[in-house]
Amino acid sequence: MLKFLPHIIILFLVACSTEKSTSSRQEYLRWVGDIEYTPEFDKPDFELCHGDSSVNQYFNFGQGLQYEGEKRAILEKFENEYRPVKSGESGLVRIRFIVNCKGETDRFRIIAMDNEYKEKEFDSRITNQLLHLTKQLNGWRILPNIQEARDYYQYLIFKIENGNIVEILP
Amino acid sequence: MNLRLLYIVLLSPIASEIYGQPNCNAFLYTGDTLKYEACKISEGVKGHYQFSKAFQEILDDALLKDPSYDYAYREKSVAYLKSGDFLTWKKLMDQAVEVNPIENLGYRGWCRYQFFRDYKGAIEDIERLGALINGDIGTSANGDYHLEIARAICYKALGKKLKAIEIIETQFSEEDYFFGKYDYLHLGILYLEIGEYEKALGSLRIQEKENDLAENHFYLALVHKDLGNQSEYIDHLVKARELYVEGRMMSDPYTHPYDKVYLADIETELKTAYNK
Repeated sequence: MLKFLPHIIILFLVACSTEKSTSSRQEYLRWVGDIEYTPEFDKPDFELCHGDSSVNQYFNFGQGLQYEGEKRAILEKFENEYRPVKSGESGLVRIRFIVNCKGETDRFRIIAMDNEYKEKEFDSRITNQLLHLTKQLNGWRILPNIQEARDYYQYLIFKIENGNIVEILP
Repeated sequence: MNLRLLYIVLLSPIASEIYGQPNCNAFLYTGDTLKYEACKISEGVKGHYQFSKAFQEILDDALLKDPSYDYAYREKSVAYLKSGDFLTWKKLMDQAVEVNPIENLGYRGWCRYQFFRDYKGAIEDIERLGALINGDIGTSANGDYHLEIARAICYKALGKKLKAIEIIETQFSEEDYFFGKYDYLHLGILYLEIGEYEKALGSLRIQEKENDLAENHFYLALVHKDLGNQSEYIDHLVKARELYVEGRMMSDPYTHPYDKVYLADIETELKTAYNK
């Protein structure tokens, strides 16, 4: 029995380490990253033309990020309107949302990390600005085209260094 | 879903950038029956979209069978990567790297650069891979870059342009090196930025022959601007705009390539050129 003890301990540790993935099985939605309607955050009148079960991802159409004036227009908006916050904070902030078949947006959600990929809560003066400006973006293109307009998920990632935006992705 | 949309989705990156499923029998030959069984389970993802619940659950089952089956971690991570969820993606890829660093460091490093512009992290991963293996460290997941060129771009982004040039020149001198589609463009821009105009022209002209792009002419224009060649400056900007409108520019279905320019950049520069 003693001979197998190390193996039993390893198996126990492995079982513990995989607990998250097994228990998270029940948490999967239709697709990874699906954003369900939440009355506290989301506009009740924001309509998905094809329903929650048919929202695509922005890259599904093979055209990359599509915005009026290209990504340059997004970069300029943030360059012109974001006010750096002297908080010394750095990391990434992702804002993900849905663009519906009319080019309207809602269901905004934020996640953030520090430079070590650890979850982080940024100074609200940073995240509030980012969210506010992202919500103002109104040039999202209808994809894949007007005739076959779909709803799709889009995200923006802001690389923050010492409270300044240094890059925007994707 | 109509046929056209179905066609778009099937041919889109979501369908085409799935990594090759390992040959499960290879695990049998090495006597790793647990990994063989995990591998056979993971074969069930075929036909399921990477983002789907079924895809994730099948790989969870594979990991229950063998928690050291790195392929499953990496495949699970892809949907998180493409949706910008850096927190979950990194946790999954860290597990893949932990159990099989040689197979996963290059991929993790590339993704840190491409999706999150984590230049420092990308360099660490690529250099760690280089220290672990003898010989070629391979290419980016999309095949556009050799990882050495990606490493050079990361050094450039951190302000180390001379080191970036040194890495690219060394890579170019490798026997049988298969040049990437943007290699000479990046090198030409680096030369431009350090004021080595003749070398910049040389690199950008090679790029022009190999893979002519709007960016190539945009930066050729900037070289001529600095050299005071007004007519060439304008001609290349006009050519850059023409190519851009034709759709011949740097592109990536997920994010923008480094050194990419936009139509507005070309037009703004054209206005400057005409006003000179």
